[in-house]
Amino acid sequence: MQFLLDSFYSALLLLWSVNPELVNVVSVSLKVSSSSTIIASLVGIPVGFLIAFREFPGKRLLITVLNTLLALPTVVIGLFVYAFISRRGILGVLNLLYTQKAMVIGQVILIVPIITVFTISAISRIDERYRKTAMTLGANALQTAWVIIREARFAIMAAVIASFGRVIAEVGISMMLGGNAKGFTRTMTTAMALEYDKGEFVLGVALGIVLLAISFGLNIFFNYIQGRARV
Amino acid sequence: MLYELNNLKKIYGKRTVLDLPHLSVEAGRIVGLLGPNGAGKTTLLEMFAFLSEPTSGEVWFRGKRVDHENNRIQDLRRRVVIVQQHPIMFTVTVEKNLEFPLNIRKISKQRRKQVIDELLDLVGMGGFKQARAHNLSGGETQRIAIARALACSPEVILFDEPTASVDVENQIAIERIVREINQEKNISVIFTTHDMNQAARLTDEIVFLFEGRLAQSTYENIFSGQILPGEKGEPYCAFG
Repeated sequence: MQFLLDSFYSALLLLWSVNPELVNVVSVSLKVSSSSTIIASLVGIPVGFLIAFREFPGKRLLITVLNTLLALPTVVIGLFVYAFISRRGILGVLNLLYTQKAMVIGQVILIVPIITVFTISAISRIDERYRKTAMTLGANALQTAWVIIREARFAIMAAVIASFGRVIAEVGISMMLGGNAKGFTRTMTTAMALEYDKGEFVLGVALGIVLLAISFGLNIFFNYIQGRARV
Repeated sequence: MLYELNNLKKIYGKRTVLDLPHLSVEAGRIVGLLGPNGAGKTTLLEMFAFLSEPTSGEVWFRGKRVDHENNRIQDLRRRVVIVQQHPIMFTVTVEKNLEFPLNIRKISKQRRKQVIDELLDLVGMGGFKQARAHNLSGGETQRIAIARALACSPEVILFDEPTASVDVENQIAIERIVREINQEKNISVIFTTHDMNQAARLTDEIVFLFEGRLAQSTYENIFSGQILPGEKGEPYCAFG
């Protein structure tokens, strides 16, 4: 117990001193996770909207497949993407392996199903009368879609925040596709895993505190936005 | 003629909800659609609003046949607006709700502000501009929905049971607004109702629907009473 408390105390000192290694690891994490969340949102929200809004053959099967992909292990994605971007893979010439871009690709694959499925769920719950109201007020298809997405904004925002939480906390993809290269692809989680392997807990605990603080900050921000809109 | 419907049918699954060989509605009038639940009133109203496509038959609007396959259906929708029984307010302020149809029609910011103020005054909701629209009562929501519909500058306003779930005070206000819309702004009004008294008070013409078909109505007794002899022997009608 004393050992944990010592680590915690040293971690706080490390945070207080704004350790450059810590700053680098945190900034790589934030950069990669933000990029993948933005890209996945740009794909997942419109796709989720179209799936929810349109009737087409195989719709239920597609939703079932997407639901299944929610449980996709990060190491499976890591292996899958590795097969494509390694030197022997068909995208090997792009030299993506062990880069931040490779990590973003893997993380996008991880969270697109999450954002899509939760967008489908959010849009499906919106009363049909919103669509009819927008249409009778003269909205075209795009304006009607915007009204519906706006009404579902909190649920969609929750999906985006949950997805960001998922990618910033994952290890498998970052380790397999990023390679944990110091200063380039080392993220908070891969650094924590490395520190654990080395038996050095101080940086690991400090990163854990940062990770939790980011998650806490995001939730406060989300609650603030929700609260403002409902007053 | 405002609307003409010929051999119009609307079928959901195996159920025919509307079957109208012919129906015409004149412009500039207040027309009431009366009928019990399930008579097809709301479905007919949605046809008039071009929100629902008939399974078969023709809808004519101001002498032109309505074609739902045509891209111009949106232009028609911008000439007619429907106020639903339980109107949906977007989860923004009252002002933003009224601004929505004005933005779509690319009205200038200055004009938008002016129109919003005028319309809120018309429906007696001047102080509610910054109120959250989804926090309003049923009657207030109905009045804001009417103001929002008027922001569309429509040729026709369709009301689906506008006073079904409001108190007497709001009912009186809504009936006044409906008359003003028709008489002062010369907008044709079609509304559904169960209330025969209301239909008698407000409308120039009543269309009866029963199980999706037009029903012939004989002169309806909407008041109950007795004919009694007066003091000098002359008959008089005692209501109630």
